[in-house]
Amino acid sequence: MTVMSPDLPVENFRRIAIRDLDPEGLGELSEDMKLSLSIDDMIEIQLYYAAEMRREPTDVELECIAQTWSEHCKHRIFGARIEHCGPGGEEVIHSLFKTYIKEVTERIMERKPGFVLGCFIDNAGFIRLDENKAVCLKVETHNHPSAIEPYAGANTGLGGVIRDILGAGKGAKPIASCDVFCFGPPDIDSADIKAVDVIHPLGIMRGVVRGVRDYGNRMGIPTISGAVQFDPAYIYNPLVFCGTAGVIPITDIDKQMRSDLRIIAVGGRTGRDGLKGATFSSMALDTESHEDDQQAVQIGNPIEEKKAADFVLDARQRGLVIFITDCGAGGFSSAAGEMLSEVGGNLYLERAPLKEPGMTSWEIFLSESQERMVLAVEESALPQLRELAQTYETELTEIGESDHSGLLKIWHDGELVCELDNSRLHDAPVRHMRSEFIPGVSKADMDWVAGDLAADLREVLGDFAICSREPIIREYDHEVQGNTVLKPLAGASGDAPQDASVVRIDGSDQLMAMGLALLPEWGKSDPRAMGRATVDECVRSLVVAGANPERIALLDNFCVGNPEDPRELGMLVETCKGIAEASEAYSAPFVSGKDSFYNYFETEEGAVSIPITCLISAMGIVEQQSHVTGASIRKAGSLLAIVGLSGSDLGGSVYARVKGVEGVKVPEIDLGAALESYRTFHKAVAAGLILAAHDISEGGLAVTAAEMGFSMQAGLEIDLDALPVSGSPGSVARLFGESPSRILIEVAEAASGQLEELFTGIEFAVIGRTNAAHAKLRFTDGGEYILDAELASIKEQWKNGLTHYY
Amino acid sequence: MEERPNALLLKFPGTNCDGETARALEVAGFVTEVLPITRVTELALEAAHLVVLSGGFSYGDYVMAGRLAQLETERKLGDSLIRFRDKGGYLLGICNGFQILTKLGFLPRGSLINNTSGRFICHWTGLKREVSGNPFMNGLPESFELPVAHAEGRFIAPEGAAKSYLAKGLVALTYSSDINGSSSAIAGLTDESGRVLGLMPHPERFLWACNHYDPDWQGDGSEWGWGYMMFKSIHDTIAAELAVVSV
Repeated sequence: MTVMSPDLPVENFRRIAIRDLDPEGLGELSEDMKLSLSIDDMIEIQLYYAAEMRREPTDVELECIAQTWSEHCKHRIFGARIEHCGPGGEEVIHSLFKTYIKEVTERIMERKPGFVLGCFIDNAGFIRLDENKAVCLKVETHNHPSAIEPYAGANTGLGGVIRDILGAGKGAKPIASCDVFCFGPPDIDSADIKAVDVIHPLGIMRGVVRGVRDYGNRMGIPTISGAVQFDPAYIYNPLVFCGTAGVIPITDIDKQMRSDLRIIAVGGRTGRDGLKGATFSSMALDTESHEDDQQAVQIGNPIEEKKAADFVLDARQRGLVIFITDCGAGGFSSAAGEMLSEVGGNLYLERAPLKEPGMTSWEIFLSESQERMVLAVEESALPQLRELAQTYETELTEIGESDHSGLLKIWHDGELVCELDNSRLHDAPVRHMRSEFIPGVSKADMDWVAGDLAADLREVLGDFAICSREPIIREYDHEVQGNTVLKPLAGASGDAPQDASVVRIDGSDQLMAMGLALLPEWGKSDPRAMGRATVDECVRSLVVAGANPERIALLDNFCVGNPEDPRELGMLVETCKGIAEASEAYSAPFVSGKDSFYNYFETEEGAVSIPITCLISAMGIVEQQSHVTGASIRKAGSLLAIVGLSGSDLGGSVYARVKGVEGVKVPEIDLGAALESYRTFHKAVAAGLILAAHDISEGGLAVTAAEMGFSMQAGLEIDLDALPVSGSPGSVARLFGESPSRILIEVAEAASGQLEELFTGIEFAVIGRTNAAHAKLRFTDGGEYILDAELASIKEQWKNGLTHYY
Repeated sequence: MEERPNALLLKFPGTNCDGETARALEVAGFVTEVLPITRVTELALEAAHLVVLSGGFSYGDYVMAGRLAQLETERKLGDSLIRFRDKGGYLLGICNGFQILTKLGFLPRGSLINNTSGRFICHWTGLKREVSGNPFMNGLPESFELPVAHAEGRFIAPEGAAKSYLAKGLVALTYSSDINGSSSAIAGLTDESGRVLGLMPHPERFLWACNHYDPDWQGDGSEWGWGYMMFKSIHDTIAAELAVVSV
């Protein structure tokens, strides 16, 4: 007997008449249905149905095409034909992705056979760890959901990227996570926020951190790495990046769909939560988003995902998985699309376990409810899989099968509600766009007057850009799995900052380092330099932690404001050029990435866009435990050495920002020289010559030296006259300049000769020593102390920068 | 050949330290089996010498940490765990396992509630060993360090009880500073037999010296961390008992 629920719809689906609509009518339809499709897209669909299908589409089909073609899923801007007008003149770029990412990686793969084991196609990029194992990494953004509902948005952001790893290859084991946030300043006055319903940065920060905490901790995946940027431009549109790394046997990376497999869904149920997330994230935010689009944010249940994860990993180890993918944006429609797009097959929506009755066909098919994995398995494996599902207390449902029709056929209560020719389905029209970039005028070789330098150091150390992230880090379990050997906070005192984090991997002698970098401040004036410097800083952070520079792979995550604005798109084009140059120069390939557009907010006073933001994250191989290198001073009586040139330009620096100086030139970078120095540094690591090393980045040498000193093992004395320089930097530039590619090293006095010899021909100098006689950080210039500060006191400043707000 | 003792690790939905805890048990010499609670039988318990409840968030720790796992264990196993203990079996509960063992009534009365800070904390902490001759603690110095990671780690007991637990030798470990508001800084408890131990810190996360945050940490000069010593201690205790039986 069927019990009719009063809210059951009359029909599961409906046909939409589009054949006779004019372009304007098509545009209105797209808007009414919130399809986020352009009029050109709609015309393409109209033609397809008129010429090939000879019928009207169903709502399920339109929704399915809309999500497949959405910017979120299809990356149409990265695939667009762009007419770019930049400093080098006019040019036409046929796909940013192909030109600046994929082709660069392909060239590197030719030079380094056997290193990259999978890129761009699967859920994550894979690199070789050892003979038998590979590691993989994926980073996602969850910006719009986090703006509207910070806790749930960040919660499911991490939940989603963990599922990416579970669906990478035949199911990788998640071993570490990272998170990066861009927020408005937590001390901003609410009255300065120019739109109703926008959540104060403090509320965003607290919600987001707790969202990540509650998902990552419950999943038992250590959150080992991260960053927080504060800038007023992120008030209306905060950014939340979540990443997860995994490990998998190399033989389980390749997966092939074929006909006559059973399609099963595992994990959570399907509900109305998370409808149209993919299309929602492809639109700008405004006050209405806060009111209307709550249903686009899903609710997370990490235990549901943990059970599904236990199931997936066990099933993969037993060899029962033929193909697997997660239900992310687009839900079943994208999972089924991925699985059945070539072979074809049937899905039966009435079989999907639901959270609520009365869901229509498109709602079930498109729902982005969390914690669902979709697998293709042999029929003969079903009994064993059902038993496993019982063991781990997760729900398993057979929802369809593959065939060899080449058609995606979706059934609901016996009716065919969607039939798509998959070769057409993924064929969105190429967009044509225009972009321009005109470099601003920026001052080079500015003269910075040295005032009270100790006070400046305090100010910089306490600034939101630099101060300790400890209150956040301590809320994340970064030790679960028992493999975190270089922790985000370490050194003799256990609370000093490190560069990359390193985890050991069970069953291997080799370890994985994970690190990241972003420099949005640089991009405001010189996005191309930002691209280069961001890759440089990321690679350097891994090398400094002990990774072999030849075995590092990168991920790119772009967040952009309005791509329809040629100037904003121009910034993106220039950034892409920068990252491509650095990737090529370092032979550090991109293996995965993601982009997020429409990160702007329509306030009453106009649109507020985020600055172009490019997060580069990386995984690298640390070949043995003894190579793991911390960033904290270990002993008194060591020497301090610097690698790399210090220049005079402070553009993009925290110092310039703190002093409110704009329009300053950003530093130059010599990629070839940098790579050579990283290779040499790694030789020194392998020879056991390095006690500790820290990359010199935000805050410059002064902050780097202070941070190294925060292990409180010795005082530091540094002679600024001894720095290898380019140009003639004054003491402010020497202390606070952020010239890239530099490393500060602690070396035992007895080993320093050998180290110096190794660095022959490379910019390198011994510039100071660690001292048992005092617990201060002291810089001399021209033989005089120009900065003299008690480490304990400046550490206090640094350590408590966020505590009041968090 | 010497008989290796058997350890059985019970896994609930949301248990997430089972991998590294099983690894620690193996490294210390146990034959180790990780068994989801749905598959645990009285027979499986009978073959074990040590039953371990590892860290994690069983059933999400919804309602209260360990509460749903307690109910599920009781439903599934009835009194078999009690019989296991009464017949001389050893029980170890780490973090969430401590919370569950407390709820199940294997340890002195009390409850583990939210840290006074109201926050999850993940850091290393100094510990003081309050007992001597406990089978889990041979070879550990009086003061040592382990990492903690918990939101509900504050042990509270009925008025005056915490002090009496100290006096009776039921407090196995105390924190060297107040990290979560626990009564009498209690970090770990044992029962009167000494065969049941529950503790909030994570010994399985300090198996090797390289797990320590300080690259210059020396410990006892070996490659091992203090956590290893705990697993080794209980292993050696059980192995010695088995040797006597087989003689």
